[in-house]
Amino acid sequence: MTLRQPVATLGRFSMFCWTFCRSGLTRRPPPGKVLEEAYKIGVRSLPILMTIAFFVGTNLTLQGKNAFEPIGGQNLVGMFVGLAGVRELAPIIAAAMIAAKAGTEMASQVAVMRSREQIDALEVMGINPHWYLITPRFLGILLVMPALTTLAIYGMLASAYLVAVYQLNLNGAEFLDFVQSAARPIDLIVANIKSLFFGAVICMVCCYNGFYSKSGPKGVGSATNRAVVTAAVICVILNYLISEIVYA
Amino acid sequence: MKFIQTIGHFGLFSGQVLKRVVTLKFPLRAMIAQTDMTTRRCLLPVVAVVFPFGMVISLQGLQIFSLFGAERMLASLASVAIIRELAPVLASVLVAAQGGSSNAAELGAMRIEEELDATEVMAVDSMSYHVTPRVVALIIATPLLNIIGTMAGLAGSFVTAVFFKNENAGVFLTELGSHTTSFDLWAAFIKTTLFGLIIGLVSCYLGYNAKGGAEGVGRAVNNTVVYSVLVFIAVNYFLTSALFGMVA
Repeated sequence: MTLRQPVATLGRFSMFCWTFCRSGLTRRPPPGKVLEEAYKIGVRSLPILMTIAFFVGTNLTLQGKNAFEPIGGQNLVGMFVGLAGVRELAPIIAAAMIAAKAGTEMASQVAVMRSREQIDALEVMGINPHWYLITPRFLGILLVMPALTTLAIYGMLASAYLVAVYQLNLNGAEFLDFVQSAARPIDLIVANIKSLFFGAVICMVCCYNGFYSKSGPKGVGSATNRAVVTAAVICVILNYLISEIVYA
Repeated sequence: MKFIQTIGHFGLFSGQVLKRVVTLKFPLRAMIAQTDMTTRRCLLPVVAVVFPFGMVISLQGLQIFSLFGAERMLASLASVAIIRELAPVLASVLVAAQGGSSNAAELGAMRIEEELDATEVMAVDSMSYHVTPRVVALIIATPLLNIIGTMAGLAGSFVTAVFFKNENAGVFLTELGSHTTSFDLWAAFIKTTLFGLIIGLVSCYLGYNAKGGAEGVGRAVNNTVVYSVLVFIAVNYFLTSALFGMVA
């Protein structure tokens, strides 16, 4: 393995983003498509996202209780949920699930269009494929990401509360007090800003992988596969950088 | 109705695979090759995700604990959060995204290109030749990757605490050792083995039954990540309840 290939990929990705910014964002998006994509991404991912967020909340509470009980800090559970859940885990899990659900769908749709030469057909018809295919997805995902993240956070808190009160018999009011001491409204705003970055990354990475996929079922499969892994990894690294800038 | 049918179909498929796993009716060489490939493919994504997450945990934990002057608690937070919960879940998510979805992509492509039918025609059992080695490979690879992921997460949290925030390295390591029990490690091991089984079965089921050309492969890959994560997160909650209920 040489160094040449990753550098070439990075260069091609940057070129892709640059072309997209120049030709995709400078014009009005294709009419009607933005809301359609937003609906597809947002509403279809919602059940999966809420279920996952729900179980993340239950687990956090359970683990927090088990961990802090020996040192006599049962109340710290609320703080643990606020800290680990609201600030970090809920936004990143939401991003990972959007990448897994909506992102892979984008990648495989674009890859199928590539392998059926529909993208070439668009170019032949004088329609800019970046503008026609990626702009609606990009704007759509930016539109729904904050809403999905906020819902995921509240879903997670609700399940954490249920487990704390009904399974572990903690005091509900005290639990919420401690959650609030660790997670303030500003954290919700930070989580939403983070989610915008995640949405942009997911869209660009997934569309890039679909756009440059090889044709045939193998090409579509491996493009989809690569898209979700790359998007998840970049989101987590970005998450650290944003947290470092905001909280440190 | 369709849902129940799918569940039943999946159950039958799982039964057939598990029968072959238990009776060791699969080529050992293919299993070893698959394990090797899965581990290698997933290694970088797992480390690249868990390491920054460990760093974030330190960052956030220090911010909260320094309010009370209880910075020494950081290592116990890192131990609970990373060893028990984050590393197993994140490593398994990444294994599902990388190993699981590439299984689905490969098996799906084989189904579409009629390679699986060709295997059957040659009187080779495609279940034991193509499917079972992949499932076994994931069962073996997931706990191994979790061990590496856990170490990466702890390393990330150590790096942030000691090098960036100037905490005492000795205190961190001592506290880490005193708050981690061998039971935590075993629980994580058992959990990830089960997650590996779930990812293997779901990904192979969806890939093996893919239909509808290149698009179908894309859909199989997409569904693999979503459904396997959904199932193992739900299982995680009940398993954690059971495991810690047993001890308490």
